[in-house]
Amino acid sequence: MNLERLRSNLRVIGYAFVMTLKQNVIDGFIIFTILIQPLIIALLALWMMDDRAASHAIFIVVGSGLTGLWSSLLFISGNSINVERWIGTLEFMVAMPTPITTIIFGKNLAHVTQSLASMLLSYALAGILFQLDLSIARPGLFLVSLLFTIIAFVAFGLIIAPIFVMNPGVRGWQNAMEFPVYILSGFLFPIALLPGWTTPASYILAPYWAARALHGASSGEATPASILLYLAILIAFSSLYVLISRWLFKVMLHKTRVDATLGLQ
Amino acid sequence: MGSHAIEVVHLKRTYQTTVGVLRRKARTVEAVRDISFSISTGELFGLVGPNGAGKTTTVKMLTTLLIPTSGQARVLGYDVVRDAGHIQARIGFIFGGDRGLYWRLSGVDNLRYFSSLYHVDPDVSRKRIHYLLDLVGLTGRGDERVEGYSRGMRQRLHIARALLHDPEVLFLDEPTIGLDPVGARELRVVIRDLQAEKKTILLTTHYMFEADELCQRVGVINHGDIIALDTPKGLKTTVRDLSVIEIDVFGIASERLDALRSQPGIDTVSLHERGQKQTLLIHSPEGSEALQGVMDALSGLHLGGVTVREPTLEDAYVRLVGGEA
Repeated sequence: MNLERLRSNLRVIGYAFVMTLKQNVIDGFIIFTILIQPLIIALLALWMMDDRAASHAIFIVVGSGLTGLWSSLLFISGNSINVERWIGTLEFMVAMPTPITTIIFGKNLAHVTQSLASMLLSYALAGILFQLDLSIARPGLFLVSLLFTIIAFVAFGLIIAPIFVMNPGVRGWQNAMEFPVYILSGFLFPIALLPGWTTPASYILAPYWAARALHGASSGEATPASILLYLAILIAFSSLYVLISRWLFKVMLHKTRVDATLGLQ
Repeated sequence: MGSHAIEVVHLKRTYQTTVGVLRRKARTVEAVRDISFSISTGELFGLVGPNGAGKTTTVKMLTTLLIPTSGQARVLGYDVVRDAGHIQARIGFIFGGDRGLYWRLSGVDNLRYFSSLYHVDPDVSRKRIHYLLDLVGLTGRGDERVEGYSRGMRQRLHIARALLHDPEVLFLDEPTIGLDPVGARELRVVIRDLQAEKKTILLTTHYMFEADELCQRVGVINHGDIIALDTPKGLKTTVRDLSVIEIDVFGIASERLDALRSQPGIDTVSLHERGQKQTLLIHSPEGSEALQGVMDALSGLHLGGVTVREPTLEDAYVRLVGGEA
């Protein structure tokens, strides 16, 4: 790719990012998914933990923020191509010189970045309303973990979106996929509490490694070496997701052009 | 390829559909059977035909959105399947209707975004958007959200979107559908201006007067086949031997229409909905002499105006598609 084309694609990502944010700030469903629902989860967790909440406050804040990230990925990023089809813009997008993966990357980046608001809101809730200590043990590693979490979630979104386009039946399982990932990824409690046979399922989920890195860095319970290992696994998963997504997009574009399903009739 | 911007050779497109719920049966629908035509550089070519004739399928194949089942199509010398990327940067297209825009964004935001997808330089894009908003009559309205636009304004914004990268070839698929008469007329002025800029344009339309007014050549497509291709003047000569009787009616049963079709001296009968009333279009080689028989067949019905006139392109079209319009 030459420099000019790279610059153009970065510009597209920027425009897609800003445009998506502009549209989302007035979307009720998105506001519920990234703000209200994680806030409810954080509130419930803080009340349930009762007098133990003080010692686990940052765990709850990070965990409920991650629920917002996952829900946003599943319902918003996952539908990012389908939404274009529903509003009739998908046909224009695929018949343009910009690769559709670049456009969807920019959109998913906006979805994932905005869903960090759920973490900020949970932080404010626990700090202001519950007056809990929310100090982050390893702030540098926490920020790096957050950055790689964003990348991993965007990459995961690039896999889910074409799958939902090619298999409308799978979309029906979206609701059923929400809570199992909260649990298997250890967002709100450690997976050690789960039966041992579920552990392999956790290990193949990038959100699990994101949660371990973020929880480990915020609470200080993980050593820097362990956190770096979690991040390395997260990067490996993200790379794998990007590779798979490139193939999935190719298959999706061919299939929709053969089946005439780019637009809704 | 010579001076042809578009070349279509034995193009065919079929769809697989299923019917039934419990016993699902696969069915093959031939949307485009075997069409061949070419469009010269700078030509405004019309493709007309009834609903489901294959117009949109043809446009979608030429704009790389659909893969043909067989045959070949080339746009600006590039194959629509193998060289899709080369074509996409040099064509623009719009489909009828007002979908395909981001309604929560302003008109300018929409254009800026699509412009980036065409890799138009931001400085060039700013000037181009200003020029295009002026061209399509949206100056001063660009900063408003699209959801507040009328249907005609959205259609015109679509035209601006399709022109952002100054394409050499334009595909306009029923661009005036659903527009009020003033909006449709304004859009036709824009299309004529584009042709004056020597753009190659493929226009599909339901409105024969529109094809007559704008197109240099017209292809009539029906059931996936091109059944006639000529200049509007040439097509009109096919109905030179006919007269047209137009009668306004207010509700007519299909049995009456069948009775009318069986009258001696009647070539074709078609019915057109026009608001509260319907207009019967009757072609007859006998002209006003056939009128008495027609009036007898319609006796007892509430009739409006009755006119006998010379045939137009619409009449040529009706004769070609056998009254399916």
